[in-house]
Amino acid sequence: MSIDKELREELRQAASSMHCPPDLYGRVRQSYQHYVNEKRGISTMKKRILAGIAAVAILIPSAAFAASYLADDIFGSAATIEQRGGTQEDYQEIEGMLQEAQGKLTEDEFKEYMELTKQLMQLKLKITNENGVKHEEKLSKEEQQQFEQLASKLAPYFEKINGSSKP
Amino acid sequence: MNDKELVPWLEKATLGDESAFQLVYQVTHQDVYRTVAFLVYNKQDIEDIVNEIYMRMWRSFHSYDPNRPFRFWLHGITVRQVQDWKRKAWRRIRLFERNRQMTCEQLEWTDKAVLQSEMQYELFSLIHQLSYKQRVVVILRYFHDYALEEIADMLQIPVGTVKSRQHLALKELRKRYEMTGGDVYVH
Repeated sequence: MSIDKELREELRQAASSMHCPPDLYGRVRQSYQHYVNEKRGISTMKKRILAGIAAVAILIPSAAFAASYLADDIFGSAATIEQRGGTQEDYQEIEGMLQEAQGKLTEDEFKEYMELTKQLMQLKLKITNENGVKHEEKLSKEEQQQFEQLASKLAPYFEKINGSSKP
Repeated sequence: MNDKELVPWLEKATLGDESAFQLVYQVTHQDVYRTVAFLVYNKQDIEDIVNEIYMRMWRSFHSYDPNRPFRFWLHGITVRQVQDWKRKAWRRIRLFERNRQMTCEQLEWTDKAVLQSEMQYELFSLIHQLSYKQRVVVILRYFHDYALEEIADMLQIPVGTVKSRQHLALKELRKRYEMTGGDVYVH
């Protein structure tokens, strides 16, 4: 018999006399269960992390949105009115008004309202000096007319806003 | 049950299906145990390694390439796990009185069960005396019937190295077998 054949035969016979001890099954099973629990643990942790990421992804844009003031559309920034004797609180108050208007008017109405308010405020800013004192005589005749037109156009909106807020 | 049929069960087992785990264990455990027992002689160590092999099976199932035979992957894990264990054992030995441990280990492989099989199988006892590097090649070649290229791939060594280890192992076996009065042809 060649050594190749003999080796094969010998190994085969030796192998058949080697038996995996039956109690090893219990041990392997225990490690398997440990593995399964660990895997489940990891997958729930993964889910939590994903939920966390999703929450942050939702919160960031809404925080960014909340930070953009409606009043910024009209004045640019709080600095504009601060230069004319206004305070941060005044700005917040105007912001509150605008927010209220947004809530009560339809989308188209609100757009119109914002546009008119913007023009009105531009005129108001023009006549107000750095101490907050108004000098209406600074306006030209045309501008004065425009001012009144704007005020009358805005009146129905104000009524709508204030009317429904104080029924 | 052949390789292809076993893979879906293995996948189920890695996902936590306990009956699939039982089936995979039933089909594979003798093969795994015997392969390890050919390479490592201490009973406790063999059991530790078998347990680790199964752990590695679950954990690295995602890296299994379904185009290759399942047993090739399994034996690859087995051999790597034994090598890992050897490396760790070497570190242990280096740390704690290397020489004394070495003699202990020499004695350990004359474990009762092993001793018994040695009495029965003379050539087998000679295989035990080969160096680990030669022995692993002999086991993969003559017990599992792998081609030299496959063994090279599994052990991540060049084919030439596999060839020379096999050649040296056979030479050694023939020499010792003759000395003990065996009747193996010398080519």
